[in-house]
Amino acid sequence: MSELPRRIAGLVLLLVAVALPLVLEDFWLQLGLFVMATMIGAVGLTLLVGVAGQLSLGHAAFAAIGAYVYVWATSESEPTLAGAGLPAVVGLVLAVAVAALVGFVFSPVASRLRGIYLGLATLGLVFLVRHLLLNLDPWTGGFNGRSVEPFTLGGFSFSNRDPDYLAVAGVELEGLHRLWYLFLVLTLLACWLAANLRSSRTGRAWANLRDSETAAAAMGIGVARYKAAAFVVSSGYAGLAGALLALAYGRLAPDVFTLTVSVDFLVMIVIGGLGSVGGAMVGALFVTALPLVLTQYSDALPFMAAPGSGGLDPATTSRLLYGLAIIAVLVFLRGGLAGASRRLTGRRAASGAPDDTPRPTTPIAPGHEAGDRTSESKETAR
Amino acid sequence: MSYFLTQVLNGLSFGLVLSLIAAGFAIVFTSTGVLNFAHGSVVLLGAYLVAVTHPTIGFWAAVLVGVVGAAVVGVLVNALLVRNLADPNPGTAAILMLGVDILLLTELTRRIGNRVLPLGAPWGADVVRFGGIALPAGRVLAAGVAVVVFAGLWFLFARTRLGIGMRAAAADGPTASLMGIRLSRTGATGWALAGVLAALAGVFLTSFPSPGVAPPVALSAFLAIPAWVLGGFDSVPGAVLGGLVIGLVTALTVGYESELHVLGGGFGEVVPYLVMIVVLLVRPQGLLGSKEAVRV
Amino acid sequence: MRKTRPALVAAAACVFAVTACSTTEPEAAGGGGSGDVETGNGVTDSAITVGVLTDLSGPFAAGAAVQVTEFQAYWDQVNADGGICDRDVEMQVQDHAYDPQKAVSLYRSMSSDIVALQQVLGGPTSAAVLPLAQQESVYVGGVGWASTALQYENNQLPGASYSIQGANAIDYLVDELGLSEGDSVGVVYFVGDYGSDALAGAEHAAAERGLTIVPQEITPAVTDLSAQASALVQEGVQAVVLGAAPAQLASLVGVLSSQGADVPVIGMNPTFNPALLDTPAAEALLANTYSITSVAPYASDAPGVQEANALYTEADPDGALGWEVPLAYGQAQLLRTALEDACEAGDLTPEGVVAALGNASDVDTDGVFPDGLDYTQVGESPTRTVFVSKVSDTAEAGLELLDTYEGPSAQSYTFG
Repeated sequence: MSELPRRIAGLVLLLVAVALPLVLEDFWLQLGLFVMATMIGAVGLTLLVGVAGQLSLGHAAFAAIGAYVYVWATSESEPTLAGAGLPAVVGLVLAVAVAALVGFVFSPVASRLRGIYLGLATLGLVFLVRHLLLNLDPWTGGFNGRSVEPFTLGGFSFSNRDPDYLAVAGVELEGLHRLWYLFLVLTLLACWLAANLRSSRTGRAWANLRDSETAAAAMGIGVARYKAAAFVVSSGYAGLAGALLALAYGRLAPDVFTLTVSVDFLVMIVIGGLGSVGGAMVGALFVTALPLVLTQYSDALPFMAAPGSGGLDPATTSRLLYGLAIIAVLVFLRGGLAGASRRLTGRRAASGAPDDTPRPTTPIAPGHEAGDRTSESKETAR
Repeated sequence: MSYFLTQVLNGLSFGLVLSLIAAGFAIVFTSTGVLNFAHGSVVLLGAYLVAVTHPTIGFWAAVLVGVVGAAVVGVLVNALLVRNLADPNPGTAAILMLGVDILLLTELTRRIGNRVLPLGAPWGADVVRFGGIALPAGRVLAAGVAVVVFAGLWFLFARTRLGIGMRAAAADGPTASLMGIRLSRTGATGWALAGVLAALAGVFLTSFPSPGVAPPVALSAFLAIPAWVLGGFDSVPGAVLGGLVIGLVTALTVGYESELHVLGGGFGEVVPYLVMIVVLLVRPQGLLGSKEAVRV
Repeated sequence: MRKTRPALVAAAACVFAVTACSTTEPEAAGGGGSGDVETGNGVTDSAITVGVLTDLSGPFAAGAAVQVTEFQAYWDQVNADGGICDRDVEMQVQDHAYDPQKAVSLYRSMSSDIVALQQVLGGPTSAAVLPLAQQESVYVGGVGWASTALQYENNQLPGASYSIQGANAIDYLVDELGLSEGDSVGVVYFVGDYGSDALAGAEHAAAERGLTIVPQEITPAVTDLSAQASALVQEGVQAVVLGAAPAQLASLVGVLSSQGADVPVIGMNPTFNPALLDTPAAEALLANTYSITSVAPYASDAPGVQEANALYTEADPDGALGWEVPLAYGQAQLLRTALEDACEAGDLTPEGVVAALGNASDVDTDGVFPDGLDYTQVGESPTRTVFVSKVSDTAEAGLELLDTYEGPSAQSYTFG
């Protein structure tokens, strides 16, 4: 019954995403690139945190690895900077593979630790990777970073050149437009994969792990193996997100992947609603776009002091509004943005779609089994 | 030898200040299960209150204002926001605190501007000397205060009804609640205590050898996180030990950087996190944390 | 939802394929503009728009706000005097909050409305914006003094680079402050395009002058430099060069003094803030602390600086005083020079402004920057001369100008 409206909504959304570049200005195109890149990262993180119940504050570290591997793979070698000169597609695959591999190497730590312990151990990764990026100059360019070659596919370049001029329906498709479509395809692919993975055997095993490792082990789920798998998949997603961020920037430096980025990924999936792929996407849109749009249009707000006058200037206001928005979502919206929209469309009542596996309760509680149980029972009571 | 000793004392005295912050993380976490991402801003808030009030009411009264202010903010955040979360779980609570952190930090940064607010501490740039080693008087005082505070905390948790109630609530909330312990009260006490500790740490972090109150002080919380994790999430003595270890290791890494240069420049920045990861691998519950019940 | 996605993708591909595609460019519309001046983005018949991408809500908000105020005051005055090329100059200010992602997006939003960027404040932010601006040939000013920015022909570096500052610091220690061959000098620095660049210059000069460098890397979160200072004392350094921020300067100087190490400390451009003189470290700072800057300090009596200060005090009587005031004024002067040259050459497009910058071989700024700035050599610092000041409680804004200085190692430093 609810399938048809949903298909129509999906189709409309997709058509809008395809048509948007024809009308948008550069600001919005650039914003869209950042949003789509972070969407992929957030979806990967929600598989790990929301579905498999393992907290990670190290997502930016894996994104950094993906980004630098991509740039290394696709750049020509120079006297001071190593490069492999591989085709861009190979670079993208390598970025995902190496990030996933590092996730695999880190997974013994992950399988020993749980919840908040794991989260804070991964926090250390961000600082460790930053240290390496700064010190491995021959590969990373140190603090200067290195420039990113445009993405090319069989002679077609996703930049302002090759072909120099390309227009659709009278609108010239420049580098940003071309990248938009590349990002759109990759984002749809990544999200489609994630949604499938979530309802697959692996996804259900992850959810069991999240709810109780002991019970999962009793049911014959290989705890260590599935935990490692969650880490590998999520790191691979982070790697892809990192490579796309590199393309969106056009230049890479260690400052692009700070702890703030890791934390922002976490904000996205919590605000969106843990464990929901759509929620992660909406969360990414919220966290990436809101501060920028607020900044861009905050001059329109009344009663603003001039910058530097010590009063409440637009920039400070936009930052405060962003903080308030986070708090408001968490205090007022059960299940985050995804939960709210589900209630709004009344889709929860027409359950049955595999999306509606019970939402995770709490991934972040080692010593707080008690707290878990209370919120869990609330959940089932609903 | 005296150089080694100087660095050890530098490290231990700074480590004790970190312990104050780390203990705040531990107390909030045990009493309400919240990873307090806003703790750094509360440290800054405490120090800021002291800096702006001391010219009119004197330093010691200003410290009182800072301590009470930080505690009140903690209690209010818990009562108004954390307890009203739509999905009360540690994940949403942590992100909620991130939102609070953005609010506090943005407003404090706006008020402080690019000034470095002097704290007005009466010990100024005084130095205590013994046996050829010079230590800032503020740090010696910090060590004394930390010892007194931690002794007080031990007494609270071990001997008073309230403290025992807090421990019970941390161990098993619903059961403690059934036995007549008011979780709202133990939670509020935890947040207030953490605020007090944060403000005290703020005072020592912004007086000599630091120049005064400036927004980067809020980053100090990130240095205390490894200390907290290292000691064990639910253990105040662990936080003390963790702070000392991190302070010591960092000071020695910095002090002997010329010998450690193979590890790359600025190794002192990452060494706390390395130590943390290694300890977690060997002892997942931290140095003094209680062991998790579930092992698979 | 899942099952529908592949179908949707296919449908989208079809839609995309049947839409009219074209790869032949229509006749380019003739360059706009009236009279004999060619114009492009950001220039209308009555106005010239310049962009400012700065940090009004992040870590550098306060100093950035001072500069925005001064820019505005400067352009208001220019407009009152008849503007440039018979047009008023307007500023479009956006706040990137020291976040490269925001900086790039905001650059995209303003790039079609501006003829030049007056300022992109901050290391990571300007590193992200500079390559984009280079592709589109947009003049970028005010990115600080990192040598890494010199490789861009569209970049205007306001004075000597950090590496030149660092090299001059060592030369000055030897020539004027009594250090000699065999001595060692500590360099405490932030890793990055600022501190590491200053270190590179200092290392070059130390090799030239026979000194040894003891490097100590720190982060902005470190405001207690006890361990670093003890280590430097242990190494027996005779002086310290600092490539960090004001909080680190006060802590370092205070601890050194408390340990009885009476050595000169020289801070690079952004390390001094007059507010430090209210902290417990004031006495130690007044004893033996110097500042090497690319821009004249607030207390300079050069006509340009006096003019800058007067404008600022009028615009914001309660504003914070500091080197940001002459810096902002000087940068606005440089951009004005480029705009006027572009106008004279009949090409007031973004490309024309960049070209005008690249042809400027001898720019004077009434003493705000060293005279004779040369922007014709991409990759070279526009000058090798710096200002040396000493911390003082009598000079306005806490820095008393001692001298302009250009040491032999600063002259022999090579970029690349």
